[in-house]
Amino acid sequence: MPSPLIRFALAASLALAGTPVLAQTALNNAQILQGLQGLTDSAPVITAQQMRNLVQQHMAQYPGEALTRPSLALHLDSLPQINVQIQFRLNSAIIDPSSYGTLGSIADALHNPVLHGYKFIVTGNTDVTGTRAINLKLSQARADAVVNALETTFNVSPNRLEAVGLGEEVLLDPKNPTSAINRRVQIFTVGRVGPTPAPVR
Amino acid sequence: MKGIRILLAAALLAGSAAAAGAQTISYGQAGALLAKSCGKDITKLCPTVNLGGGALKACMDAKISQVSAQCQSDYAMATASIAKRDAAQDAIVQVCGTDAARLCPGMIPQDGNLLSCLLQATNVVSAACNQAITDAGYR
Repeated sequence: MPSPLIRFALAASLALAGTPVLAQTALNNAQILQGLQGLTDSAPVITAQQMRNLVQQHMAQYPGEALTRPSLALHLDSLPQINVQIQFRLNSAIIDPSSYGTLGSIADALHNPVLHGYKFIVTGNTDVTGTRAINLKLSQARADAVVNALETTFNVSPNRLEAVGLGEEVLLDPKNPTSAINRRVQIFTVGRVGPTPAPVR
Repeated sequence: MKGIRILLAAALLAGSAAAAGAQTISYGQAGALLAKSCGKDITKLCPTVNLGGGALKACMDAKISQVSAQCQSDYAMATASIAKRDAAQDAIVQVCGTDAARLCPGMIPQDGNLLSCLLQATNVVSAACNQAITDAGYR
């Protein structure tokens, strides 16, 4: 009969049998933390509004068929960032419970002192299946849902997060615009938040 | 009945944890626990409600008679775990203040460097501060 502590650990685990519970979770958290740290002073400065404007300009400039137009290049490769797959209900911004653990892991990274002083833009992206305008709206609603869960359920300070829907404009795999890999949430570290803390004394 | 037993187990766990320092689980583990124990109920009872902003909790509470005992207890446990981890993280500044002043004077506490300093000095950091760092999940 396992002790309550062990039973609890088992219940808390979604890890595969035989994999150490804590190591598995720590690895995921560590990867997110790794991806989001290291913003340099020379990195491009971007705001949520600028991102939205780029999307609008791109949609106006390339009104054609999804398969014939280029993917929008945000030129943000030098920003710390991660791509995560969050599962949503079909054509909806409702986060599937299977992704609650991933949301929590993102929160673990955002609550780490390494990232405490930083703010982030959370973007939603769809593939090119469906209507372009609806995809834009859906991606914004999905990014909003992720940000809302991080801020409320997982207690991340609201002044550190902004949500931007990028619709189907920014493809991860432009050669395969209908591929599921394009449906993703991407998080960018975009700057510091608050004044420089006073030295320890 | 099963739910009550789990709650008791949780209470025992909390009790023993308080004695040996508060064990806290990560936000990721809390989210995964919620998904594992409540995923089915959520999909069935509250399919159009999102996790954030208390909406899901309100919906599940409104249909509590249809929610499985396992989910009821683990939902409470996940919520409590998140609050506990959050409190543990907030407590560090206070608990480790003296250690920081003694071991890391003059340091600008950003980018995790203060935590690194305290972690490197683990052998000479106070027991309370070491425990606070562990409880916060920063080790």
